[in-house]
Amino acid sequence: MSSQRQIPVRARASRGKRNRRSLAMSIVFYAGIVLFGLWILLPVWFLVMSSFTTLGQLSVRPFPLIPDQMTLENYYSVLTGSTGDEAFGSIDVGARLVPAIGQSLLVSSLLVGLNLLIAGWAAYGLSRYPFTGARAFELSVIASRVVPAIAIIGPFFVAFRIFDMLDTPWALLISYNIFTLPIAILVLKNYFDQLPREIEEAAKIDGASRMLTLWIIVVPIAKPGLVAAGVLIFLEAWGEFFYALVLTNQLTVPPLLAGFQSVQQFNWNTLAAATVMSMLPPIVLAFVFQRYVVNALTAGVGK
Amino acid sequence: MCMDVGRLALARKSDRWFGLQLTAPAGVILGVLLVVPTAMTIVYSFHDVPANVGSLGEFVGLEHYAIILSSEIFWHSVWVTLVFATGFVVLSTVFGLGMALLLNESFVGQGVARALLIIPWATPWLVIGILWRWFVDGSVGGLNALLMHARLIEDYHDFLADPGWALTMTILAAVWRQASFAGILILSGLQTLPKELGEAAAIDGAGSWHRFVYITLPWLRSILITVIVFNVIYAFLQFDVIFAMTQGGPGDATQVLSILIYRQLFGVTNIGLGSALSVLLSLVALAGGLIVVKLVQKREGM
Repeated sequence: MSSQRQIPVRARASRGKRNRRSLAMSIVFYAGIVLFGLWILLPVWFLVMSSFTTLGQLSVRPFPLIPDQMTLENYYSVLTGSTGDEAFGSIDVGARLVPAIGQSLLVSSLLVGLNLLIAGWAAYGLSRYPFTGARAFELSVIASRVVPAIAIIGPFFVAFRIFDMLDTPWALLISYNIFTLPIAILVLKNYFDQLPREIEEAAKIDGASRMLTLWIIVVPIAKPGLVAAGVLIFLEAWGEFFYALVLTNQLTVPPLLAGFQSVQQFNWNTLAAATVMSMLPPIVLAFVFQRYVVNALTAGVGK
Repeated sequence: MCMDVGRLALARKSDRWFGLQLTAPAGVILGVLLVVPTAMTIVYSFHDVPANVGSLGEFVGLEHYAIILSSEIFWHSVWVTLVFATGFVVLSTVFGLGMALLLNESFVGQGVARALLIIPWATPWLVIGILWRWFVDGSVGGLNALLMHARLIEDYHDFLADPGWALTMTILAAVWRQASFAGILILSGLQTLPKELGEAAAIDGAGSWHRFVYITLPWLRSILITVIVFNVIYAFLQFDVIFAMTQGGPGDATQVLSILIYRQLFGVTNIGLGSALSVLLSLVALAGGLIVVKLVQKREGM
């Protein structure tokens, strides 16, 4: 981390020595930056503008970069479900967004808590107390990342139907472990591998039990790793679509958004408002914790 | 002395036991959630399972596999999957590398630009599909508006209804997300590249292209392997973006294997055939997984 902070200083120092960019190179470089900005921002700009505009403006050709008529009506519609105008054919559809956000938050947060505990134990065990087969277990966890959800969804559907758990958050809370647990285990294992062992060994000499050492000594110093794993679990769970599509009736936000698309009378500007709202939590989270997450994702890569 | 060794061995054994205990909950959960459904899917694939899955139905052996392997729809879907995967992996990696190289230079607004890189990565796959579905739409689309503003087209074109364009658009949408992810990882790799290396080479007269090929690329080797591995995995398992944009259409122009299986299982509820298809996709994925593991081991061996 500290070495990253030094880089601007070094870069500035080296610029004096190195030749300045030639004019041609500068033009190419700034053209690249402009292209980069357009590539990222144009789709987002179109989404945000659509969410603030009226149905009439949407049909203007070509759609203006900044629409003439701006409105908050779309957000009001998807939040309350009461539109009062022609914004969508079925009031029921709009009224379901807020409960879906609630369910998404519930499933994602519970999963973060449960997975940090279970994956934290496993990652710590793999890192500090490797048992026979620990390496094989880690490799199968890595390999499990490539199991297609579609290949295991059938039996899941049947099992949840037998236990009468279809269309409940429990079905998601259970099935999401398939992809969130491996991510959490791998990120945390890499993190624990990087932590110095001396403090733990000192605690051991002082007579602390292994479990007590884990809770009192390791958890506090592993906080950055736990935060990163937690954010990754939340992002994966929040955005998960396939299991939620099959196992629930549009219980969480992604399948609900997909459902909005298939309702004929549901217009793009209203859908855009719902889409913007579904993007905000993960983007804010990623912005706030980006340094932790990037460090965790690249940890161990350079080994 | 002898006793010490004995005690040490005992401590080691108890340490291993402790590690196993810590790992057991995760191991049991993953084992149950992955192994049981996989086994069930294999069993289904050998049976003519009724749509309500009330029973296994008649045992048909390898019949479903024979049907699939002699089906044109299947091979077309394999082809579409390969085209999608190739475009996705190549463009995500190249765009990601390009963006990382750009953002590694110092310029006014660098911080803002790096923050922008986060947006596509943090956006859920399905939402990216919805966003791009409407961005390239034929009646309200932003892309059409831009092309018309720039006077490149006369009137709006419905890209997703055009079999010649639909697959390209789904690839671009998926690349929009994955290139950012690649860019984030590669950028963090570039930041650890010691400037002295480049400077020394520059003094020796190496041009920027040579510095890129002989210094930057080798430095990024392990990060690039990681990025490509991630890209390959996401390429073969992609479902959300295509489902939101085209649902496999127009016709079967964008029907990758995951969409084909979804249609078999939940569209026409042909559980047996869908399961057999799933097994085939899993075998491909497993082969991919083994390659992933081999690459990881090779990397760690360096």
